Amino acid sequence: MHELSLAEAINKTVKELCARSEWVRVRRIVLKVGHMRQVDAELLSFAFDVVAKGTVSEGAELSILELPIVFRCHACGKAIGGEGTTFACTNCGSTNVELLSGMELTIESMEVESQQVL
Amino acid sequence: MSEIVTIQQAVMAEDEKYAFRVRESMREKKILAVNIIGSPGCGKTTLLEAMASRTDFSFAVIEGDLETSRDAERLATAKIKALQINTKGLCHLEAHVVEKALSSLDIDSLDVLFIENVGNLVCPAEFDLGEDFKVAVSSTPEGADKPLKYPMLFAQAKAVLLTKMDLLPYIRFDKEMFLRDVRSLNPKAPVIELDLLSGTGIEKWVSFLSERLREKRAHAV
Repeated sequence: MHELSLAEAINKTVKELCARSEWVRVRRIVLKVGHMRQVDAELLSFAFDVVAKGTVSEGAELSILELPIVFRCHACGKAIGGEGTTFACTNCGSTNVELLSGMELTIESMEVESQQVL
Repeated sequence: MSEIVTIQQAVMAEDEKYAFRVRESMREKKILAVNIIGSPGCGKTTLLEAMASRTDFSFAVIEGDLETSRDAERLATAKIKALQINTKGLCHLEAHVVEKALSSLDIDSLDVLFIENVGNLVCPAEFDLGEDFKVAVSSTPEGADKPLKYPMLFAQAKAVLLTKMDLLPYIRFDKEMFLRDVRSLNPKAPVIELDLLSGTGIEKWVSFLSERLREKRAHAV
């Protein structure tokens, strides 16, 4: 259940961001998650709903943009995107590859509300 | 009124601050910090026990478990300095917990600090504790399919330890597949085969660590 750990980490980071910028409510959080992280989007949203209770993020929608694994092969020079999670070039089989995408775990943007000035 | 703001910040940014501080403190004290990750029962504590009086470096252990201090007691019996942390349900250690533990452990005279993570192949791989590197421990009875099932851990590990090699005659374990799959995730990490009851392979593991310690110290000068 590493989605619960991730949900807690997201909530902690969002809380900190809100405290710093005086945002009082979060409506939506857009996350970028690399395929290598093996995150189940549905489980993560469920876990986040639970941990966000009673915080500024309570009820916020979590939008997850999953990024595929993409690497450049140093042996044949091709940039390859894979379905699986292995780091072997699907063109020439070399493992001399450099990961370009797939490990992301980033809060890309948020929809927030600031304190109402009366 | 709501607004959309661009954030572009790593989810783990908060925890990474603690990890950074742990890493800085390890660098100043020239201690090699090793995060040991593997399933419950794969032999993480046995590995540490088996190292007692077999190393030319001094070491201590931070033990992470959900409950009980059994592992730290086992290590104390083997005359290894150990501090138990109970995560009370959390499935992995986090850097702020490690930082706190460091303040109650006398580490100044240490060469190597092992952090034995909670027995789990998933969550511990996600969290940076400020270690120099992670080590994946996998035992033969768990099956040869673990690397591809838990790629995050095996892709990051600086070394892969394959334990319970003495059980090979009694179980089905496709070693070729295991090695091939580790290679496909992580071409550089050595796979060290261990039989911790007889001690076979420990020398290789200890010399791997001595070499990393030497590198770290050479780098720090």
